[in-house]
Amino acid sequence: MLRYAIRRVLWAIPTLLATSLVLFFVTTLAPDPAPGEDDPLTDEARRSRFVDLPRFVNQNPQDVVSRSRDAVARIAAPSTGSFPAGTDDDRARAERTLQRLGGAALPYVLPAFEALAPEARGRVAMALAPVAERMGLPGRDALAQPGSAVVFWTRFWDDRALDFTRTAVDRAVTRLIEHGSDLRESDLVALDTFALPDIVRAMGTTADRVALQRLTRIAHHAVGRGPELEADATATEARRAVADWQEWWFVHATDFVALDGADRAIAFVTETRYGKWLKRAAGGQLGVSAIDGEPIADKLLERAPVTLLVCGLAMLASWSLAVPLGALAAWRRGRAVDAATAAAMFVLYATPTFAVAELLRRATAGHAVEGARVALAVAALTVGSVATLSRWQRTAMLEVVRQDYIRTAFAKGVPGWRVLVVHALRNALLPSVTLAGLHLPALLGGDFVVEEVFGLPGVGYETLRAIEAHDAPWLMAVVLASAVAVTLGLVASDLAYGTLDPRVREVLVRRQEGKAA
Amino acid sequence: MTQRPPRDPSVVLDLSRRKGEPRSVVRESLFVAGRAAAPYVTTTRIALARLGRDRLARTGALVLACLALVAVFADLLASDRPLVCRWHGAVYVLPAVVQPEAMRGLDCAAMRSDAAPGDWMLAPLVAHGPVTPGGEGQALLAPASPGHPFGTDAEGRDLFARVVHGARTALGLGLLASLVLVAIGVVAGALAGFAGGLVDALVSRAVESLTAIPTLVLVLVVAALVPHPTTATLLWTIALTRWTELSRLVRGEVLKALGEDYVTAARALGASPVRVLLRHVMPNAIGPALVAAAFGIASVVLLEAAVDFLHPGSLDTMSSWGEAMGEARTQGGAWWLIVFPGLALVATLASLNLVGEAVRDALDPKLRGVGHEGGGA
Repeated sequence: MLRYAIRRVLWAIPTLLATSLVLFFVTTLAPDPAPGEDDPLTDEARRSRFVDLPRFVNQNPQDVVSRSRDAVARIAAPSTGSFPAGTDDDRARAERTLQRLGGAALPYVLPAFEALAPEARGRVAMALAPVAERMGLPGRDALAQPGSAVVFWTRFWDDRALDFTRTAVDRAVTRLIEHGSDLRESDLVALDTFALPDIVRAMGTTADRVALQRLTRIAHHAVGRGPELEADATATEARRAVADWQEWWFVHATDFVALDGADRAIAFVTETRYGKWLKRAAGGQLGVSAIDGEPIADKLLERAPVTLLVCGLAMLASWSLAVPLGALAAWRRGRAVDAATAAAMFVLYATPTFAVAELLRRATAGHAVEGARVALAVAALTVGSVATLSRWQRTAMLEVVRQDYIRTAFAKGVPGWRVLVVHALRNALLPSVTLAGLHLPALLGGDFVVEEVFGLPGVGYETLRAIEAHDAPWLMAVVLASAVAVTLGLVASDLAYGTLDPRVREVLVRRQEGKAA
Repeated sequence: MTQRPPRDPSVVLDLSRRKGEPRSVVRESLFVAGRAAAPYVTTTRIALARLGRDRLARTGALVLACLALVAVFADLLASDRPLVCRWHGAVYVLPAVVQPEAMRGLDCAAMRSDAAPGDWMLAPLVAHGPVTPGGEGQALLAPASPGHPFGTDAEGRDLFARVVHGARTALGLGLLASLVLVAIGVVAGALAGFAGGLVDALVSRAVESLTAIPTLVLVLVVAALVPHPTTATLLWTIALTRWTELSRLVRGEVLKALGEDYVTAARALGASPVRVLLRHVMPNAIGPALVAAAFGIASVVLLEAAVDFLHPGSLDTMSSWGEAMGEARTQGGAWWLIVFPGLALVATLASLNLVGEAVRDALDPKLRGVGHEGGGA
């Protein structure tokens, strides 16, 4: 039985992966921002949606090494005046790229100075001047002239190369968190973007408000964007700031990190649109709402209780109505009771949930108190599901009443109600466990409708607002969350069925033994 | 059918009903008869005979036929253009359809007030279209009146016209989407069952993963993300996600048929796999496909209405029942905005379900000669 359970859970993984492929396809439906000529806003929008990455396989993942080499090559290219390499425009753009890469690019740019032509070397050294400014290096006046600038950077690298190692940065960041001081902070500022991987990682692990304040300040100084925490920031503000930085880092990490060895091999798959999207979704990093900038995960958790309450109550109510109705109809099949329930259920079956909900809302408008809205929503949802469920229950019961053991029970003189409850209903209830799982998608869809109609602040209500605002992160998160919830529900109902029904259990065990033999 | 030699004695389907017998029983009794009316008892013939005797199915089919007629001839029932008219000396027949350019900017009311001597016109049943009227003095949110049999909505549009044209949206979209989903479902199910192995595993994963996504949620999200959602968007979204149930049924039928003796016999006689699949296996899938088509239309109609109800105007439909009901949510007292489109919707769904269930029961061999037991409604 345990093996069956493990197998069933493992089988859910490929299903979820396939689901994620479907959802990924849906995300690509949303329009991509067009590539802009030097427009930082659209560039940023494209990057944050990974539009420029290949979909499934990245044969040439970019990192700080390749980016800085490319930028240096473009700055160093002799001025030909022809498009694109060598034009002033292209060179200026490459300089801006190099300045953005900043400290993280230095370990790959400075040692390569020797390979450049003297004139090109001077241009690159001058292009790095704003970086030196940002790092607060002494003797920056030398950067005004190409010759002295090259000397400045060569000397800088001779002195400071040892600071630009991962272990050194890691130690510096740990120290800053443990005993923060302005000196230690300026040490990290002098490393510029090279320190970012450790700083962003540290933001996620420390809860110390002062340390966070320093970390966000350093990060902001290095890249010139992102929130800086104030000393009196609340816990919510701190969490939001950290989420913002992590989100930014998720998008921009390859600007500042070198991919080598295993990282490079993995990047073939992870540095793709699908890889990035899946990683983000699997890590619970669902992004930030386009409406109010709140992290999606927080918002989802905040809204989920209402939805779970409505769904849970509706499930309870509809099953407790559907089981007696269906069982009775099957017990008295072909009689007036059967015909009456069949007719009633038929009408309910053809009535959409939204119409029921809207009529209910209109009928109670003006009388309803605040708390009754949940009850009304549950009632509407119950009316919507009870028809399907009671028909399932009737079919299950019909199977059972034809069995020999029912006839036997009657023959040996068991009273009718006892045959119904003890012999028939108990067995007829088993398939309902599976059906409860199968009913989940319809239940969720109906829940969205009733939340919207009755204005309950649950996931569905928020989703409708997100649809109006085209809030793509929230919408994707909701579809993903509901798919995961339904899959888990299906797995749970399968497991419960296997546990409850001795016949199924036996078949499963026999099948496994048969396979083993 | 015609190439086969006539057999004697003929086998005749007995469609007479004996006293006290349940209505849906068809006696497939064989008896020798001189009549050549129905020489063979085939599954199709039995199914048709059962369908013909099912009064509920007949009612459902009748309602559906009426709705289909309404959908096809919506322009004759409610339109702001005349059916036939003489306008400034020229006679136009169905100008809205035949010469849309000539009548641009003109509707019945304008033509009546601006008629030249000798002009005449034959207006449709209701002389209003489903789109926002341009003229002044429109009755907004008016209850039923002779000019507007179902009343008007908040923008002064005639509700009767909206309901009539909504039938076109609902049934047209339902039929198309259902055709596509049946095609996908049959092909996927047949491949999975016949090829087995990797194909089967892939299709099964796809079915499971698509089943896990609530369709209504997905449709809403797709309609919100796509730049300009059209009814085609809705059609494809539904068709591409709703084929799973049918493919599971078809796969089951195929697997069952592959174990039958007649398939073994066909193989032994040297039939190619393609012939075995198409000639001997796939006919078994016709039944599930027909039933899925009927229920598929119902679910598409329902989904379209729900999407338009929750987010009116998100699709470029000319008029939709769900949209009319959705727009009515802010109009407290106007009950007619909910009731008339709602009734149309319920009638469509109910008759589709009736027909679908009747087809399923008629094709189910287990029910042959048994009372109407598994139907439930």
